[in-house]
Amino acid sequence: MSDGARRGTPVPGAVPAVLVAVAVLLAGCGVPPSGVIDGGRAPTGVAPGPTLYFVGPDGELVAQTRDTGRLGTISDALALLLTGTQDPALRTGITSGGTTRVGVTHDGDTIELHLPLAEYDVTPRGLDQIACTALATHVQAGGSADTRVRVLLTVTEPGSDAGEPRGCPVVGRAAVR
Amino acid sequence: MTDGPGRFRGLRARLLVAFVLVTVLGAAAAAWTGAVLARNALLEESRRQAATTIGGRVTAVAPTLDLPPDQVTLDRLRDAVGGRALVVHENRTSARGLDAGVLPDELRAAVRGGDRIVTQRVVADGTPWLLVGTPLVTTAPDGARTPSGIEVYAARDLADVQRQIDGLTTRALATAAIVLPLAIVLALLAARSVLRPVRDLRDTARRLADGDLGARSPPRGSDELADLTLTVNRMAGSVQTSMEAMRRMEADARRFAADVSHELRTPLATLTAVMEVLDGATDDLDRDAREAAELAIAETHRLVRLVEDLMEVSRFDAGTARLRVEDADATAVVRETLRARGWTDQVRVDAPEHLPARFDRRRIDVVVANLVGNALRHGRQPVRVGVCASADTLRIEVSDRGPGLPDDVIGHVFDRFYKADAARVRSGGSGLGLAIARENARLHGGDLTAGNDDGGGARFVLTLPRQAREPAPREEET
Repeated sequence: MSDGARRGTPVPGAVPAVLVAVAVLLAGCGVPPSGVIDGGRAPTGVAPGPTLYFVGPDGELVAQTRDTGRLGTISDALALLLTGTQDPALRTGITSGGTTRVGVTHDGDTIELHLPLAEYDVTPRGLDQIACTALATHVQAGGSADTRVRVLLTVTEPGSDAGEPRGCPVVGRAAVR
Repeated sequence: MTDGPGRFRGLRARLLVAFVLVTVLGAAAAAWTGAVLARNALLEESRRQAATTIGGRVTAVAPTLDLPPDQVTLDRLRDAVGGRALVVHENRTSARGLDAGVLPDELRAAVRGGDRIVTQRVVADGTPWLLVGTPLVTTAPDGARTPSGIEVYAARDLADVQRQIDGLTTRALATAAIVLPLAIVLALLAARSVLRPVRDLRDTARRLADGDLGARSPPRGSDELADLTLTVNRMAGSVQTSMEAMRRMEADARRFAADVSHELRTPLATLTAVMEVLDGATDDLDRDAREAAELAIAETHRLVRLVEDLMEVSRFDAGTARLRVEDADATAVVRETLRARGWTDQVRVDAPEHLPARFDRRRIDVVVANLVGNALRHGRQPVRVGVCASADTLRIEVSDRGPGLPDDVIGHVFDRFYKADAARVRSGGSGLGLAIARENARLHGGDLTAGNDDGGGARFVLTLPRQAREPAPREEET
């Protein structure tokens, strides 16, 4: 027979193939170390205090940070807003009756605020103050800037649009951008 | 197959090994791929879940945390994260079950400079861990994010995941192992389907080689082996046809020789009778006519002998030669042969007094007469006939002191009409004597061999079984 030299390896490279397969198989089990893998956006929510919005001399919205040491909840921030400001340069469009407790519910992409106010207690600018303050706290706590706010008052006039979902003209610009 | 030093001998073993290797490798590769995919999915899921959970917990507690944080705040954050956790802010740390020293530098660097949750798998003391690290950022109302300087780290044990993966791997290997006996069975079946036609073909070829020209393999299917089988069958068919033709021609030739010699007998008998008459009347002829008549008589005798030899050869060829075995004294037969031909004075006989054996007297007489006649004619005296015997072999040797047989002649002395010396064509012999002598020896079950004595001179050795038996009548060959 002339194929004597070939008889030893009927399937060329079979033995190396088996070794490679076993090595790969062994390497496949277990939990290998990994490099640093991204896991999403970092959590946020710490702040020196909530940001409140008042009305400036020219009727524009002015942000004011209350140094409470922590961000707190939307409800906390709105309570501070209803309490008003002592800054003589600023005024507020909200006439508070002394009750500052605000109910906050999240409904999908909308935040519903239940205010202890009637529509005649709040100017349209006052509605913006409320919406912006709520949204600012929401964004600072890690929420989306596209969230809409519904301001629900105790008494509304017929045909009023106070209860419509609204955004805030000055909050979340950077995030939206 | 010839035997060799290789480990994989034979087609069956090679088929088996190749089949099993391919099948097991395929099964192992499939099982392995499945196991790796499942493992990766498991790891990815555990990683994603840990990052989401920890991110969610930190986000939930973050608005209630003081900034800048004091130790109590850091502890609250650490408790909120749960498990093995570490919270760092500037020089202050709050740790439980997780030491800052075990955190890889690349993870710390990614957390410190970044705005993302990051994860990394590490193996510490043989146990796999998932490390999750994240900075806690401060977001401005306009969405701008700035680091707060707080870093949160957590370690999650992956031992459970490891156990699940080990289970998957074990099952994958078991699957591959289950395939093994199946592969062996399939390989054996495949090998048998291939090897059975090969074996059939080998058996057929062996029968053909042994002379059974009618041997054929039935072709199965329509593959290459069936093609090969058909080809072998066709080859066997043509060989059989030519062999039959040759045998027929040979038989025809023999029959022709037999017929010719038979037809020559009657005219020869007449011719012989005429010659005998002529022989008695030669004295009345003149010298030239007498010489011519004597020549004609001699040639006629030669012709008669030739025809008789031809008929004898024809009987051997046709298988109709019959052995008539009887009890006889070998020494006596040899002496009678010499005496009857008047050679007693010229030949020395070395033989025991009596040598009882069983053989055909007539045929042995013919053989001995032929050998001694040749020795006297071609060799030189003294011619010696030796007769001896063992328990079951009778041996008769005829030797002379002539020049012996040339090497190129020894192989041909028993050929028909072979003449060693072309110059002595008309030596009186028919050219068939030695051929007939050997046929006679073989008919007894013995043999006749030619050679040279050590001291020169030809030596013919006839060996016969001491108790020759009459063979069963041979079938007439076609």
